This record gives sequence, C-alpha cells and structure tokens, in this order.
Amino acid sequence: MKRILIVDDAATMRMYYRSILEGAGYQVDEAVNGIEAMEKSLQEPFDLYIVDVNMPKQDGYSFMSELRGRDLFQAPALMVSTEAAASDRTRAYAAGANLYLVKPIKPDELLTNCRLLLGEVHP
Amino acid sequence: MAFIKQHITETVEQCERKQGRDCFSLELQLSDPSPSSRRWAARDLAECPNASAALVEQLQREEDRSVREIILTTLTHLGDEEAVAGLVNCLRSEDASLRNEAIEAMKLLPDEVAPIMGQLLKDADPDVRIFAVNVLESLRHKQVEEWLNEVIEHDAHVNVCATAVDLLGEVGTSYSWEALEKLKARFPDEPYIRFATDLALKRISAS
Repeated sequence: MKRILIVDDAATMRMYYRSILEGAGYQVDEAVNGIEAMEKSLQEPFDLYIVDVNMPKQDGYSFMSELRGRDLFQAPALMVSTEAAASDRTRAYAAGANLYLVKPIKPDELLTNCRLLLGEVHP
Repeated sequence: MAFIKQHITETVEQCERKQGRDCFSLELQLSDPSPSSRRWAARDLAECPNASAALVEQLQREEDRSVREIILTTLTHLGDEEAVAGLVNCLRSEDASLRNEAIEAMKLLPDEVAPIMGQLLKDADPDVRIFAVNVLESLRHKQVEEWLNEVIEHDAHVNVCATAVDLLGEVGTSYSWEALEKLKARFPDEPYIRFATDLALKRISAS
C-alpha cells in the first residue's frame, strides 16, 4: 500500500485529505509543519508528499528544499496553497515540488494528481 | 578543540555587544555586517520605546532568520502602533517565512491587533485576509468568533471562508450555527466547504 504524508497545519484540511486518500486505499500519515514532516520522513520514507505552503515554524518551501537536499527523499511532492500567482508556482517548483495546486481542491482533482505523481496513471 | 572554538566565539560575541548600548547606537548596529551584532542590537532595543520604526525597516531587509526572530520578539514587546503596522506590512511579503513569523508575533498582541482586525479582514488582497484569519487562530480576544462569522457570512472568496470555517471548527459555539448554515448554502459546489462546515456543526452540537 502506498504511503502518503500530508503536511498541513490546518487540522480540518488534514482530515479532508485523509478521508479522500484513505477512501481510495492509500495509507496516510500527517504532520503539522515541515519539522515534524522531516522527523517522520527520517523514520520511514513516504511514496508521496502533500505539502501546504503556509505553515508556522517551517513553511512548505523550506521543507521542500530541505527534503530535496537529502538524497534519500526524492519521492514526488504535491504543493498546495491558496496563492495562485505565477511567482508562487515558480517558487514551489524551484523548491522541488513536482506539482502545485491552488486550493480549494476537489476530491477528484486530488486523487487524479496523486495517482499521476505515484505513476499509477499516465497523462 | 571544540572548547577553544566556543571560547573564541563567545569572546567575539561579547566584543560585539560591548559597542555603544544607547538607543541611537543600537539602531545603527541593526545594519552591522555581523549577524551576532545585529541580534544583540535587536534584543537590547527592547529597552528603547521609539525603536519600532528602525526595527521594522531592518525586518524588511534582514535575511538572517535568527536576527528576524529577535526583531519580531522585540517588536512584540514594544507593541506600539508602528510595531503593529510593521507586522501587518509583513503579511504582504513574498517571503513565506517572514509572513508566518509575523503572524505568530501578531497572535501575541491581541489588544494592539484588535483595533485593526476589522480593516485587515476587509483588505482588498484575499491572501492578506487569509493571513488575518490565521492571526485569529490563537488571538485571545473576545471578538474572535464574531469576526469569523462576519467572514463566513460576507467574504466572497472561498479560500478566506475555508480558513475561517477551519477555525470555527475549533472555537465556534452555537452562536455561529446560522452563519455556518448560510456558508454551506453560499458555496454548494465546494466539497471542502461542505466537509469543514459539517465538521464544525458536528463539533458545536456535541459541545
């Protein structure tokens, strides 16, 4: 079973993603910020990361850069944010994200993109 | 060997703090090339009641995160109009870390932030309105629920409402019931709004 880590400080948002992803058969874990996400990643690797941009303590961009700085963690990452500007997308990709989605994210959109990033479907 | 290195570092840091400690000298030291010197200056400026403008100016260009943290702590301690205005300005920054650090600092200033919260929640930029809702998260102020209801009843931007309803799921009471029902009706095609609103209503009815 593929393992997905949700990194978001909003509890309701984590529950929303979890309900969709578990319903589709994925194993889901959660972290409230980049620091906790890194700790969990060091314990056991994940197949996919879903990372919010705005989080206290360590924001999504910093977490992504740190994650990509470690050769062990090259799993795909989906960054999510409320910010739709082109500069935000550019920053996300520069930090190491594979895909950037703007909230609100509908269940079908989330699942399609997760499957795509996990290599379960092809574009 | 490690001890010697530590000793040298401490000696350097002490020297950097021995420069003039009057308010004027401290403000000048905020732009010193040494981060350690800037850190000490930012810390000691907490004793200078008119230092907010200089601190805010430095905050906008400071690249060292540890110095920024001290500047924010000192601004929070000073807590005057200029300090709050500087923090609000950080919400418009392109730098996600600075924005988040400013949000955390503003949460510690409920009385100072409260008079401008209404204005922040009506800012033309939806991202600023979202960050303002983020500030409400741990702002210990009696108007928090009222502000959140105002957002979910009137804000046209779905992400601003989504952020507010997340928080109402934690702090909402039966006072928010009607506003939450109206929110669901305003965004019938947004699954996240439905999910978060139902969760908030469930929590309120259980409490």
